[in-house]
Amino acid sequence: MTDPFPPPAEVLDQLDDEAFRLVVRRFLAENYPPALRNPPKRLHWRENKVWYLKLAEKNWLAPGWPREYGGMGLSAAKQIIMTEEFERYGCARVNDHGIVMVGPLLIRYGSEEQKRYFLPRILSGEHIWCQGYSEPNAGSDLASLRTEAVLEGDHWVINGQKTWTTLASDANWIFLLARTDKRAKQQQGISFLLVPMAAKGVSVRPIINLELHDEFCETFFDNVRVPRENLVGAINQGWTMAKALLGFERIFLGSPRQSAYALTRLRRLAEHVGISDAPVFVDRYTRLRLDLADHRALYETYVAKLRRGEALGADVSMLKVNQSEIFQRISEFMLEIAGENAGLLEPIEGNRDLHPAGIFIQARPASIYGGTNEIQRNIIAKNVLDLPA
Amino acid sequence: MTNEPGGMNEGAGHAEGIRLIRESAAAVAPRQGGLRRIRALRFTRPGFDPAIWREICAMGWVGIRIPEGQGGAGLGMAEYCALAEEFGAALMPEPLIGAVLATAVLPAALLADQLSGRRLILPAWQEKTGALHAPLATSFSNGGVFGHKIFVPMAAGADGFVVTAREGYALVPASAEGVSLVLADTQDGGHFGALSCDDAPASALAGDFAAALEEATLATSAYLLGLMDRVFALTLDYLRTRTQFGRKIGSFQALQHRSADLKIQLELTRASVAAAADVLDATAEPASRQAAVSRAKARASDAALRLTREAIQLHGGIAYTDEYDAGLFLRKAMVVANQFGSSAWHRARFAAIAPDSEDEGP
Repeated sequence: MTDPFPPPAEVLDQLDDEAFRLVVRRFLAENYPPALRNPPKRLHWRENKVWYLKLAEKNWLAPGWPREYGGMGLSAAKQIIMTEEFERYGCARVNDHGIVMVGPLLIRYGSEEQKRYFLPRILSGEHIWCQGYSEPNAGSDLASLRTEAVLEGDHWVINGQKTWTTLASDANWIFLLARTDKRAKQQQGISFLLVPMAAKGVSVRPIINLELHDEFCETFFDNVRVPRENLVGAINQGWTMAKALLGFERIFLGSPRQSAYALTRLRRLAEHVGISDAPVFVDRYTRLRLDLADHRALYETYVAKLRRGEALGADVSMLKVNQSEIFQRISEFMLEIAGENAGLLEPIEGNRDLHPAGIFIQARPASIYGGTNEIQRNIIAKNVLDLPA
Repeated sequence: MTNEPGGMNEGAGHAEGIRLIRESAAAVAPRQGGLRRIRALRFTRPGFDPAIWREICAMGWVGIRIPEGQGGAGLGMAEYCALAEEFGAALMPEPLIGAVLATAVLPAALLADQLSGRRLILPAWQEKTGALHAPLATSFSNGGVFGHKIFVPMAAGADGFVVTAREGYALVPASAEGVSLVLADTQDGGHFGALSCDDAPASALAGDFAAALEEATLATSAYLLGLMDRVFALTLDYLRTRTQFGRKIGSFQALQHRSADLKIQLELTRASVAAAADVLDATAEPASRQAAVSRAKARASDAALRLTREAIQLHGGIAYTDEYDAGLFLRKAMVVANQFGSSAWHRARFAAIAPDSEDEGP
């Protein structure tokens, strides 16, 4: 008699880290669609849906949600192992805003009715969410956002424009930050609202990014009316809630996988162009290897903190800055050694492992998204080094 | 949270031992306070304080890597690195790392003298600059050593030297016939000795010097870590208090961003040193040990030079005076950064021995 695989979440949570890691590996080997490994671009819902629904079917979609809400209820340490293994296997990222953002938001701040309605629909894949935070004039300075929601009777009337709404064209719901009190100080007049994308007055325009991919969108709100109950938590508390949602997941912005992936491509590119043994290449390549190895050592100290049940401080910003800049240095070196191939739109000779231009372009936003590296340095200076304002 | 020594990297197994080491180090190698003693010893002979050396011996630190059964403290590399880090933070000129290295090959009676401080034996292992390993020209036969050893820190204070020769290790008394020692001042106010042996009478030593050399290299990285940690703290204090244009200069973003980058280098060094200490404590496999040590030393050397250089710049003119302490850290980093192999040498060794594994990416 064999036990069912994978074991239920209660059992998984009791496993030691290495045993759990092996379960995740086996799970991926048995369940992950081979055609979706290491996708060169962020996949759309029509492409990654099969994986989302497989995760849903196995109850592996929401590792961090408590079990009473249909999640796996795993510790931070186990969630990190899961993410590491997913990254190692080259799994595509699903449309995960519902899982990563809306679920935790509602579980913490939502009404019973909101939880009962939305959470199961996220888990079933019926609701696909996108995030409405940034605006054309509110990027790094998010608190200056101007999209406005005014209460008229039992409805919020929303007007404004959001941008960088990742995969908004796939989504049927959006959670957004809107200004609900124009007289309050910037951070204090903002609320969280949930809006169906099908509502009258919502329109979406894809943005073609430097990868020539339509991952981002602009989303417009023109007198959009949603019921009063679509507000999450208390009015004008949206900023506080959004900040509270910045949990340990911030560590993933500093995960070494992206740079590790790029580094192997750098090596293969050097072999392809025939310079992998040249001393000038070896020296710079070794510097990058050491940068990555030391980064990994630093990253591991944060993982160890989480494993001990400690919260992450502002110093986690160091990981994001360092990782993204290693990634960029690798990509810049690739471009330098690639010769004319650096200008190719498609991978060299159709080999997906040889695409210096692609990696170079992919590396550009790494120092922008999730808070620009300049903002991260401000945070380090003020909150870690205690330098004056 | 800026200056917790060792802050985040210590595993539970070592945490208590490390805490005790740091606490006991505070009395002899203070992290805080003035550097008057350090200044006073500059450009003197032997360049360190024999009374402090006796205290160091009394603490049992010279025997930190010697098993308890042989009179040592029997502690691991994590503890040794914590100690070396405290020494670095205090800019200690006393030759702890050299003395600990020598203990690896000293026989019982000499070892007892070394641990108690009755005698100070320092290693003279180097014939070339910047490298941890190189073919040796020094020979040791029929009880006599012929050869020339260079860059022996604090050699003026040594009673004898562990000399590496093609045939093995030899103990050469400093006062022996055929021995001459030429001293050259170093930037930090210490000195290097150049040791010439012309049929110098010596006794043979047994033991594993190669592994101890790796440990000394890592301890040197930890020393640099302590040094840069403290000079960074000094710099941050200045940024928080110095006023120009009616504002604290630490409020200027140009300086804040530079400081953030230095913090990252500091923490990368801390993580790298801690990871290497764990490797040395966990495995005897030479390639893994060497790769980890080279990684830590390459990072520590480069970061120490960067942190100390930038400390001067972030202070401005005041730091260009000898009277101000920032310069002490810069000049110490200039001396120590290339000891036990330069960063370039360690990167090259890492490239040669560390498998470029697929573990680095899918």
